[in-house]
Amino acid sequence: MPLLAIETSCDDTCAAVLDGAQVLSNVISSQADHERYGGVVPEVASRHHLELAIPVLDAALAGADVDFDAIDGVAVTAGPGLIGALLVGLSTAKSIAAPRQLPLIPVDHLHGHVAANFLEPDPLEPPFLCLIASGGHTMLAAVGDHEGFEIVGETLDDAAGEAIDKAARMLGLGFPGGPELERLARSGDPEAFSFPVAMARDPGLDFSFSGLKTALVYICRDLGEEQTRDRAADLAAGFQAAVVDQLVTKLGRALDRGDWPAVALGGGVAANGPLREAVADLCQARGIRFKQVSRELCTDNAAMIGSAARFSRPIPYPDYLGFDAFATGPRGGR
Amino acid sequence: MSAVRVLSFDTATDDTVVASVDGGRTAFEKVVSPGERPLHSQMLLQLAAEAVAAVGGWEELDLIAVGTGPGTFTGIRIAVATGAGLSASSGVPAVGVPTLDALARSIGARAGAERVMPLLDARRGEVFGGLHRGDGEPLEEPFAISPARLIERLAAESRTEGAPLVAGPGAVRFRDELLRAGLVTEPDGSPVHRLDGRSICELGAAAERTGPETLKPLYLRIPDAQLWLERDGKNIDPPPD
Ligand SMILES: [Zn+2]
Repeated sequence: MPLLAIETSCDDTCAAVLDGAQVLSNVISSQADHERYGGVVPEVASRHHLELAIPVLDAALAGADVDFDAIDGVAVTAGPGLIGALLVGLSTAKSIAAPRQLPLIPVDHLHGHVAANFLEPDPLEPPFLCLIASGGHTMLAAVGDHEGFEIVGETLDDAAGEAIDKAARMLGLGFPGGPELERLARSGDPEAFSFPVAMARDPGLDFSFSGLKTALVYICRDLGEEQTRDRAADLAAGFQAAVVDQLVTKLGRALDRGDWPAVALGGGVAANGPLREAVADLCQARGIRFKQVSRELCTDNAAMIGSAARFSRPIPYPDYLGFDAFATGPRGGR
Repeated sequence: MSAVRVLSFDTATDDTVVASVDGGRTAFEKVVSPGERPLHSQMLLQLAAEAVAAVGGWEELDLIAVGTGPGTFTGIRIAVATGAGLSASSGVPAVGVPTLDALARSIGARAGAERVMPLLDARRGEVFGGLHRGDGEPLEEPFAISPARLIERLAAESRTEGAPLVAGPGAVRFRDELLRAGLVTEPDGSPVHRLDGRSICELGAAAERTGPETLKPLYLRIPDAQLWLERDGKNIDPPPD
């Protein structure tokens, strides 16, 4: 039954082997190079993917203690993401599948984040509300079944992780900024500076983080270089609190609008401690379940793509030979 | 190396070039021109499957010869990723063949020339090229230069060894510049300009080494971001919103 899954939509080269909801291996090769550039450079990421694709795939097979003969399907992220990066993964997946006439299962990356929750151990069954926040996406997904989801709220500008990375950069931290900003914020006072509670008056479920970023730019300018350095912990704490506050406020509002028995988090920002705590408190207050997947399943990975593939339509050989990737497009996982 | 049945493909140019040979016979050959965009991702594997079927299937195949560029970055990656994936899955060895070597051999065979300079459109007003023997053997490192510099080089060649035959998509693209320097190129539609899949098969079959380490993409240019980083000696600013 094993399924091979490949994910290359952004800067991590990922491969996994799954047997049903069991993850047999989950290999993630992060590209450290992006720190030099202060962000993900598509051409640099694509070159890395090409170098890493086969070694990562071999490591996933070895980790699961299987060879190609055991695999009976290949799942791959078809989009959305960086097109050059996606094409490396898709070309690899199709050409692995074709000589063996295996089916190909193209997966929507965001469906993957949702489907991370279906994996063992302790899978979460729909219905639930899923907040996905990363450097590339920020959205609230209403998950009614395994096969897809409905986006009920999304960012109107920056993704939450993108805003955090930019803030970290302004405070002189490395890339990606999330973990470092979180560490710095621990020794800061979140109320020392006032950040706007973005979208508080907006009754909808959409997010916006560009105002927060602009607020930080002005505060740093008023403080000057030296003061900004001295007060970096307070700035980090205030900024992080404002991001978490907005995410949790919208999540609470979405919960008000439906009868949701559970909440799940996905995306790299879901690894943020204060966010996890705030969502846990929110769920506890409402007496609903909070499902937390492990860090490796929050950030981009191929196990989640394999999980979504179990509920996606396989394309039999040879119908997928001409299948192409999409940078943006179909959403909702169907 | 005694590969008899060889699959070859190249997507470094806008064309999707796929062929297979069985001994001396061309079993399959197809070139798909781009639509609005190149059709590499849609056409490559489809045609490769047909080309493999034409030599009796994967079990009968001896070698996969892959054009490794230079050319468009995305095109090169599609070919190399596909070659690596097919080889890993089927167990058939793969070998990288520089696109300029294969184009030089195509030109040499069609025009009967002994010294050729294949040219590819490198975008940004530049050409990829290099001096080759007519059988494809490179006589120098491949380059990416402006047409003005290219003409200087060709003029220098003319004074010493005599001008090589200049052809390929880059010669079509810079026909006017070449003409101003007194170099006449074949008409646009002439087959002499076209990369021929058979040449890739032949160069692949003649290669001394095969295996994943030969499947190295030949970008000939570093990413822009790296260029800026190296030039400014510091981190670049994130792109404006
Ligand atoms: Zn993601």
